[in-house]
Amino acid sequence: MKLRTRLLLILAVILVVIVIDIPREDKVFSAIGLKDTSLKVRQGLDLQGGANLLYQTDLSKTSAEDKQKAVGGVINVIQKRVNPTGTSEVVVQTSGSDKVAISLPGIKDVNQAIALIGKTAQLSFYEVEQNGFPQATDISGKDLDTATTDIDQQSGKPIITFTMKSESVQKFASLTTKINQSGGRLLILLDDQPLFNGSVSSAITDGKGQMQGFKDIKDAQDTTVLLNAGALPVPINLVEQRTVGASLGSESIQKSIIAGAIGLLAVVFFMIAYYRLAGVVASVALVIYTLINLAIFKLSGLTPFPIVLTLAGIAGFILSIGMAVDANILIFERMKEEVRAGSSLQTGLEDGFKRAWTSIRDSNISTLITCFILYEFSFGNSIVKGFAVTLAIGVLVSMFTAITVSKTFMMLLLQTEWASDPKMYRFNSKSNKAKVAKA
Amino acid sequence: MNIVGRRKLWFIISLIVIIPGTISLILWGLKPGIDFTGGQEIEVSGNTNQSEVRAIVAKSEVADITVTTSGNNRLLIRYSNQGRGDSEAIHQAIKANLAAQNIQETAFSSVGPTVSRDITRNALLSVFIASLAIICYIAFAFRKTPPPLSSWSFGVTAIIAVLHDVLLVLGVFSLLGHFFGIQVDSLFVTAILTVIGFSVHDTIVVYDRIRENLRRYNKPFEELVNDSILETFARSINTSLTVIMVLLAFFLFGGESIKFFILALLIGIFSGTYSSIFNAAPLLVVYNNWKIKRSKKGGAKNLKPTKA
Repeated sequence: MKLRTRLLLILAVILVVIVIDIPREDKVFSAIGLKDTSLKVRQGLDLQGGANLLYQTDLSKTSAEDKQKAVGGVINVIQKRVNPTGTSEVVVQTSGSDKVAISLPGIKDVNQAIALIGKTAQLSFYEVEQNGFPQATDISGKDLDTATTDIDQQSGKPIITFTMKSESVQKFASLTTKINQSGGRLLILLDDQPLFNGSVSSAITDGKGQMQGFKDIKDAQDTTVLLNAGALPVPINLVEQRTVGASLGSESIQKSIIAGAIGLLAVVFFMIAYYRLAGVVASVALVIYTLINLAIFKLSGLTPFPIVLTLAGIAGFILSIGMAVDANILIFERMKEEVRAGSSLQTGLEDGFKRAWTSIRDSNISTLITCFILYEFSFGNSIVKGFAVTLAIGVLVSMFTAITVSKTFMMLLLQTEWASDPKMYRFNSKSNKAKVAKA
Repeated sequence: MNIVGRRKLWFIISLIVIIPGTISLILWGLKPGIDFTGGQEIEVSGNTNQSEVRAIVAKSEVADITVTTSGNNRLLIRYSNQGRGDSEAIHQAIKANLAAQNIQETAFSSVGPTVSRDITRNALLSVFIASLAIICYIAFAFRKTPPPLSSWSFGVTAIIAVLHDVLLVLGVFSLLGHFFGIQVDSLFVTAILTVIGFSVHDTIVVYDRIRENLRRYNKPFEELVNDSILETFARSINTSLTVIMVLLAFFLFGGESIKFFILALLIGIFSGTYSSIFNAAPLLVVYNNWKIKRSKKGGAKNLKPTKA
C-alpha cells in the first residue's frame, strides 16, 4: 500500500535521525569505525569562544602560475604550526584567492598563536671561521628531517635534538668534519636568532644534532614546531582578527536555546490554535524538521565541509523554521478553500498540496538564490557563510517535511473517523456545504 | 475588502513611512562599523562608566573612539588606529590599562583597511546581483503567464516592493546610527539580503495566485488581483506572524551580539509582508492601466479592460 510505504519510509528517516541526534558517549560508534567526536554540532567561535584570524599573503614576488601553490604552501605550514599533532579543531583554509583564514576554537592566548603563525622560520647553518667570520653553508631548514624537544640529562635544560634527511646526512657530515678540523664553530640561526653557537667536538656522521639555549621548555617546544613545519613560502600579513571570550560564547548559546524554545513554542501554540488538528500535524512536522536539521549539522562533520554553527547560523535556522511553517500554512489554506468549495477532506488535501506546490517551489527558490549569493560574497566572513548555509539547508529540509511528512500524517489522520470532521481543522466555519467525509 | 481600489492610500502610507529614513539616509547615511572602515573593536565587561572607559582608551592616542553600551554591564569600544604603528601593541596597551581598572575584555575584533574595502565592494555587489538574479528568476518562473502582463512586469514590480523594504530598513538604521550611534556591519548586509529573499518569497505567493486565477477566470484584471490578494491574505499574515514570533523571541531573549541583526530582519519582514499585499500586487494593476492607456493611443487590442 502506498500510504504504508510512505509512512514506513518516514519512520525510518526519523529513526536514523534520532540515532544520529542522541548525544552519545565516546565509544558507541567506534565499533563501526566512526569517530565519535566528529558526530557533534561544530560550534562557531562566537558560541564557544576562540579566535578567527585572516592573513593576506604577499604574492607580489610570486609568478602567476605559482600563486596557488604558494597559498597552498602557506596553509600547509600554518596548519603544522598551529596544529602540530593534527588533533585539535583548528581550521586553516583559503579565503578568496590570496587570503588564508584560520579559526582557533577555544584558544586562550591568541597573541602567542599569532606570533607562532607569523614567524618566517628560516633555519640557516653557518660555519664560523677562527677569525670569527661567519660563512654561509649549503645546509638549511630544508635539510632537516625531524626535530624533537628534550631535556638535557646533565644540565636539566630544554634542548632540541634534530635529524637530517637521509640525503643530507653526507652534507652535514662533511660540514662538521671541516669545522672540527679547522677548529671553528657551528652557528645555527632561526630567523636571525642563534639557536646554536659552539664548537663541534667530532664529525657528525649519523646526521643527528642538538640545539640549546632556550628560555624555557615552552620556548623549546614552539621552536620545535617551527622547525618541523618549515618556512612560509611567502610573507603573510594579519589583516583581520576576531576574538570571543569563552564566557561570552557560552552565554550566547544559553540565550539562543532559551529564545529558540520560546519562539518554537509560540509557533506551535499559534498553529494549533489556528489550524487545530492540522496545526498539530504541522508541529509534529516542525519537530521532525528540527531533528533532521540537527542530524545534517552533525553528519556534515564527517565530510570535508563541516557546517559550523554560529549565532547567525542559528538565526538562519530559525528563519528557515518560519519557512517550514509557511509551506504548511500554504497547504492548509488551500485545503481550507477546497473544503469550503465543497470538496471532501481527502480531495481537499490532494488538491491543496498540488495547488500550493508552485508557490512553495518558486518562493523557496528565490530564497535559495539569496543564500547562494550570500555564500559566494560572504565577505570572507565565516559568520555570513554559516548563515547562508544553515538557511539554505533549512529551506530544502522544510520543503521535504512539508510535502512528505505533513501530507502523510494528514492522510493517515483522515483514515480515522474522529479526524474526518472539518470542524477539527476549523475548515467549515463559512458554509455547511462541506460534509463530513467518511473514510 | 477592496485593497487594490484603495491603492493610492497604501502607496501614501508607504511613502510616509519611508520618507523620514530616506531623508536621514541622504543627509547622514549609515554609520559604518569597522567591517567597512577598518579599525578595532573591544567588548568589555566590568566597570561600565562610558566616560571613564573612554578616557582610558584615549590615553593610547587612537582616533574616532566610540563607546556604546552592549547589553547588561557590557561596553563596546571602537577606535581606528590606521597608520599609528603596531596595532597589536596598541590593543595590548589598551587592554592592560582597562585591566588595571578591573575591566575585562570579552571580545576583540580588528579589521584591516584592505579587508574592509573588499567587504564594502562585496556588500554592494551582492545586493545588486541578488536583485538581478531574482528579477530573472521571477521572469522565468512566470514565463507562461496568460495576458495581459508580461512575465518581466512581475519581476520588476516585485523588485520595486523589495526596494521599499530595503529602503525602510536602511532608513531606520540611518536614523538609529545618527541618533544612537548604532553602526552597521557585514551581518547587517546579511540581514538586507535575507529581507530581499523573504520579501520576494512573500510576493511570489501572491503573484502565483494571480497567475493561477488568470488561467481560471475571465475577470477584469483589477478585480482579479484584488481577489488573489484576499485569497492569500490569511496565509501572508499567518506566515509573517510565525516568523515574527520567533524573531521577537530572539530579539528579547537572544543575546546582544545579534540584537540589531534581528531588529533589521524584524523590520524588513514586517515591511515585506506589507509591501507584498499592499504594494507589489496593486503595482501590477497600476502598470497594466498605464499600458492600456499607452496602447489605446497606439490602437493595440487584446488587453482586458479594468474597472475605472
